[in-house]
Amino acid sequence: MSSYATRIWALRHFWVHLALSDLRSRWRRSYFGILWSVIQPLATTLMLSFVFAHIFHVAMADYAPYVLSGMIVWDFMIASAVNGSQSFIQADAYIRQCAHPLAIYPLRTVLGNLIALAAASTGLIAWVLLAMPQHFGWCWLAALTLFPILAGIGWPLATLLAYFAARFRDLPHSLGLLFQAMWFVSPIYFEPGTFRAGNLQALVDYNPVYHLLQIVRAPLLHGSWPSAENYAYCFGMIALFSSLAWLVGRKAERNVIFYL
Amino acid sequence: MTPAQTQTGPSHRIALRDVDLVYSSLAFKERSLKTLALRTLARRPAAAVHDVHDVHALKGLNLEIGAGERVGLLGHNGAGKTSLLKVLAGLYPIAAGSLRVQGQVRALFDLSLGFEPDASGRENILYRGLLLGLNPAFMRRMENEIVAFADLGEFIDYPVKTYSAGMQVRLAFAISTAVGGDVLLLDEVIGAGDEAFMKKARERIRSLIDQAEILVLASHDITSLRSLCERGLVLDHGKLVFDGPIDAAVAHYRSTQGAQGAQAGT
Repeated sequence: MSSYATRIWALRHFWVHLALSDLRSRWRRSYFGILWSVIQPLATTLMLSFVFAHIFHVAMADYAPYVLSGMIVWDFMIASAVNGSQSFIQADAYIRQCAHPLAIYPLRTVLGNLIALAAASTGLIAWVLLAMPQHFGWCWLAALTLFPILAGIGWPLATLLAYFAARFRDLPHSLGLLFQAMWFVSPIYFEPGTFRAGNLQALVDYNPVYHLLQIVRAPLLHGSWPSAENYAYCFGMIALFSSLAWLVGRKAERNVIFYL
Repeated sequence: MTPAQTQTGPSHRIALRDVDLVYSSLAFKERSLKTLALRTLARRPAAAVHDVHDVHALKGLNLEIGAGERVGLLGHNGAGKTSLLKVLAGLYPIAAGSLRVQGQVRALFDLSLGFEPDASGRENILYRGLLLGLNPAFMRRMENEIVAFADLGEFIDYPVKTYSAGMQVRLAFAISTAVGGDVLLLDEVIGAGDEAFMKKARERIRSLIDQAEILVLASHDITSLRSLCERGLVLDHGKLVFDGPIDAAVAHYRSTQGAQGAQAGT
């Protein structure tokens, strides 16, 4: 176990380079480059919240950061799961040549997504500072813990899915469907109040997605620290996905090369 | 722990005991949830007529290679030469038996895989070095030497996607052979580029072989096998059928080839 971690660390130059080159090729020859990571969710949020603010009768300036925070975190999760599931297939040229720990390939995907998320979150921070500067304070430090938490969830999740996707090529398609379904039952764009009003409070209180989003929403949108319960759900997800990825990988890792 | 990266000691050694390698036919058949579900439900072989079976690529291989040995692998196409090399490189998991490879392994196969087409040749030198587990500072020191060896002129600063196949092989060869290892595994790499480059490449391979403690070379080129190796192994249908001096191995290989030719003739 520790020797596996040592080997991943020894290859850090390689996977960091892969993550950066993914970003470079995504933005190659585009005028705005990485700025698109900021513009895209901001523009979508503006359109969405303009409509939703009218439907739900809320102030757009308050509602838009709520949507934006949900959107950028959810985009990270979708990208990590769907692209992460392809990470072995995408890296087959490397896997066929060098016997490196396979976990570096999902890590490459997740690291790239984290960088894109960091860029996107500058849009959110700017908006919140302008629209509700009264929330600024020490508790904003808690929002930074979102990054290690997302890495802790996204990396094992992507690894786990990559093992299945190497064998079952239907997986990315069904994942899209699954995430769509989870989006509908989670307070990502819809506010918790909407669910509670419909007697669906279980979809908020026991929903790990809600607790994950609270890590960033509590400080930025309400000026308060996230609760211990929020963190407990996050660490629960990290523990769950890590142990699943380890259990599956223990048997599956060495055979992946046969399925590429 | 992969077998390819065990400790580097003074006595570099390869030891295989009863090694089996099996390519599971599941990998070719079960590509979707649908086929898996159907097969589990139906509980019978999907297509009985053209059924694909497990490929038993290496069967009960026993082998010891010590420091200083130069070993040539002979065998027909599909006899298991490449499979054996890939097992030694730690790429393929063995189904049974035990495998010990002591020393830093440097494998040269599938050379032109893994280039980034949009990046320049110079950038790809760095990237490929990182893939081989080398650090960026070391690769920057090696860069000029590699550029000079590949000898691509101004094209080194062009994207790799503009290269011809031959140019790609030259660059890949120059990078992959820039650093040696204790255990060198070669799969027919001597044969890249034009006449002048071939000559340079042969010299380079020779110096790599001189640095390496152990060489395992799979080839159909009898002349280079004879000149580079002292010991020869003949593989046939995944079994080791001959192990001895290279000249005797070549003779054994030729005799089986003759027998097959005679069978085919009747």
